[in-house]
Amino acid sequence: MRDGASFLGETWQLVGAVRRAMAVTLRNLFRRPVTVQYPTVKRVYPDRFRGILALTYDRETGEENCIGCRLCEMICPPQVIKVEMLKAEKRNFARTFTLELYSCEFCELCVQVCPTDAIIMLKTFDLATADRRELLLDKDRLHALGLQHQPSWATGNRLRDMQAPPTPAKAEAKAEGAAAAAGGKTEAKEPAE
Amino acid sequence: MPPLVHHVLAGAILLGALVGLVSYVTLLERKFAARMQSRIGPYYVGWPHGWLQPIADGIKLALKEDVVPDAADRWVYNLAPLAFLVPCVLIFATIPFAPGLGVADLNIGVLFFLAVSSLEIVGLFMGGWGSNNKYALISAMRAVNQIISYDLPFIFAALVPVVLTGSLRLSAIVEAQRGLFGWHVFAFGVIGPLAFLAFLVATLAAENRVPFDILEAESELVAGFRVEYSGMKFALIQLAEYAHMIGTSFLGALLFLGGWLGPGSQHVLVGALWFLLKAMVVFLVVTWVRWSFVRIRVDQILAISWKLLLPLTLVLLMATAFVVALRGAAGA
Amino acid sequence: MADAEARHVVEIGYGGNERLVMNMGPQHPSAHGVFRAILTLEGETVIAVDAVIGYLHRCHEKLAENLTYVQYPSIASKTDYVAAMTAELTYVSAVEKVGKIDVPRRAQYLRVLVAELQRIASHCLWLGTWCMDMGGALGGGATVFLYAIREREMILDLFEALTGARLLYGFHQVGGVRYDLPAGWTEQCRRTMDFVAGRIDEYEAMLEDNAFFLVRAQGVGVISRDLALDVGVCGPLIRGSGIGYDVRRTEPYSSYGDFDFKVPVEMAGDCYARYRVRMVEFRESIKIVRQVLDGLPEGPISSRPGVKSVGQVRIPKGEGYTRIEGARGELGCYLVADGGAKPYRLKWRGASFSNLAVLPHIIPGCKIADVVAIMGSVDPVFGEVDR
Repeated sequence: MRDGASFLGETWQLVGAVRRAMAVTLRNLFRRPVTVQYPTVKRVYPDRFRGILALTYDRETGEENCIGCRLCEMICPPQVIKVEMLKAEKRNFARTFTLELYSCEFCELCVQVCPTDAIIMLKTFDLATADRRELLLDKDRLHALGLQHQPSWATGNRLRDMQAPPTPAKAEAKAEGAAAAAGGKTEAKEPAE
Repeated sequence: MPPLVHHVLAGAILLGALVGLVSYVTLLERKFAARMQSRIGPYYVGWPHGWLQPIADGIKLALKEDVVPDAADRWVYNLAPLAFLVPCVLIFATIPFAPGLGVADLNIGVLFFLAVSSLEIVGLFMGGWGSNNKYALISAMRAVNQIISYDLPFIFAALVPVVLTGSLRLSAIVEAQRGLFGWHVFAFGVIGPLAFLAFLVATLAAENRVPFDILEAESELVAGFRVEYSGMKFALIQLAEYAHMIGTSFLGALLFLGGWLGPGSQHVLVGALWFLLKAMVVFLVVTWVRWSFVRIRVDQILAISWKLLLPLTLVLLMATAFVVALRGAAGA
Repeated sequence: MADAEARHVVEIGYGGNERLVMNMGPQHPSAHGVFRAILTLEGETVIAVDAVIGYLHRCHEKLAENLTYVQYPSIASKTDYVAAMTAELTYVSAVEKVGKIDVPRRAQYLRVLVAELQRIASHCLWLGTWCMDMGGALGGGATVFLYAIREREMILDLFEALTGARLLYGFHQVGGVRYDLPAGWTEQCRRTMDFVAGRIDEYEAMLEDNAFFLVRAQGVGVISRDLALDVGVCGPLIRGSGIGYDVRRTEPYSSYGDFDFKVPVEMAGDCYARYRVRMVEFRESIKIVRQVLDGLPEGPISSRPGVKSVGQVRIPKGEGYTRIEGARGELGCYLVADGGAKPYRLKWRGASFSNLAVLPHIIPGCKIADVVAIMGSVDPVFGEVDR
């Protein structure tokens, strides 16, 4: 049987606890809500945001960056990329490039391996649709998306540089290699197993 | 006009006003709760701030398909929302919004209110049983336990102002609270506040509000006895619950907070406005508690009722009676 | 189906003659994922529970045999998807152990940094969902849930600035990490840590000493010390039962030995003890994050060059096991490599899988409401359980 003093003490403690909890709720009543009223208000996405994928054109020449090397196709874990190479005299292209965005994991590995920074991710994710077929992105759609939205900071070369920062000698060789890249040098080392 | 027409008209107006009030009280609760949780609540329907949200909800519920489970007990299942709704709406018959503004100011007003509001348990249990659903059944069992246990402290706490006034008539109780600190919540130092507190706690439990909402416990029993209801029947159950909630807020405002009394209350409408304001304060306090605490288990709920609230309210009632008798002996 | 003899049934001498078999199914507001508990009830008391898992089985271990060491870390995060960083860390640590690959110091410190940030974020989610289970989606529980998620979102903003993703990162790679800290990140991180530390005080003010919370959490779901050792629970469960086992202390990995932090141990073994353990872990993780930010060395973030092709990493023949202290307990990965670019066999030891094994011992005898409280305090993530 509890004695009167401890019963009163417990009741007083309960009152104090109730007061503290309700004070927290009251304090939050007067704080600004953290809701971001999308789509009227969009929050600022960080530089490295991994949004939807796109293909790019070369900034100086206006040509497509993609050389059809299929490295992205081989590294993609859910295998959503399908590329067919088109051989040409100076360099190769991609004849068809299909990306199934509905199965894409957004892991950024394809961006990581691309030698020419052709495939990139954008700073937007807003591609919601009622028809899944619209998320089967073909090459034209990917290029159009690349022109429409802001690209993310993370491109293949920047990521690779971050992971193993080049020494000065390597940087020179890279600059030379970039000039010769138009010569259609494919980089496939190991075939996919 | 003939008194029958007068009464029917008053009842119809009250019913209509009640449905509107209940709908907008749900919006108030949602906005209030949202702001306490760092979010906004209904916003786009009836932009801004969701003024049309209750109407949209009502239309949606009315248009929904009425699903009756195959193995449910049809009569019991279909009648349960009505059996739950009727007592919850009937309690408003005795509530005076202002002097002379009310459907029927019975001279046993408090007794009628308390008695009829206890009848909702029947409807609740019918819903739980008729659904033929284990979750609903467990919820109904818990509900019967809980509401019956908490009706006793509820009644005793509500009787404290009755004893202080000496009448069961609600308008008389309000009239007895004239004066600056005449409200019954301030009566006799500690008796009034304690009685009000006990009334609030008992209200929380009788309304199945967190921390005593074990019977609907969304995280355990999904929706409790309401789980099989959809569409208009669900709307009726929601209406009944919120109507009961508002009804007990009205009762609290009448019994403890002085009803329609306040500056300018000789005008009927101003008095009614004060009354609504005080009732909303009671409602908001209950809502504030609801959104601040986790719920407790049913055996702990019953323990609080039988071991804490009931003795407390009994003692309060006896103390009130003692004090009133002393005052009467001294005055007379 | 349940083995009838292994089932633990508590006879409570009810007196009534109705046993109700109720299914807390895979779709349930507090199933924490997909978990099916078939409860046998007498009145309000649970007398036996049959737990059914496997609703989220996605064949991770077979998948790992078909994906190379470069591709799989992004997938590894999907085992413990709430604390993805520690899940990836387990896999790459196993690969590095078998392949005897060094990890540069900066990468180790970055791994510790993200692992501890992830622990804070995961515990925020735990607190929110546990209180929501106990308090109702329309009630005080939802309030704590929204506060906790609000703080978790701030930490996810940090991760988003670092990797670009909010939930499943692909941050680790064999030999180091993929991303380095962008400009301004350390200041943002420090600000977030100060902010979260203040908010944790608010949660404690709401819950600590709160009689409503205490009656739900104290004395509920007691895992005795012997039971904990017998069944093999890990993480906050075992630390709440009096055994101070933390992989970061017993087998320090990824330079955890450089940091000063306390391993909280509580004796009671009930839900409240586990709650206290996790609340202390909140603060200890904040402490570790601050220490990492103060002492972050310069250097490369990976000992291997950036990924250029899918079969880039080849691990010679060997096998090994690594264990990591995840937010839920000891996450382990056993790897058998055969010299190629893909593992020969991969076995995940899921922390929640072992933790769930204790449920049939502690649930019978308690009330239905306690079932959700216990499930919440065990904090399972079914990606780990079912893999």
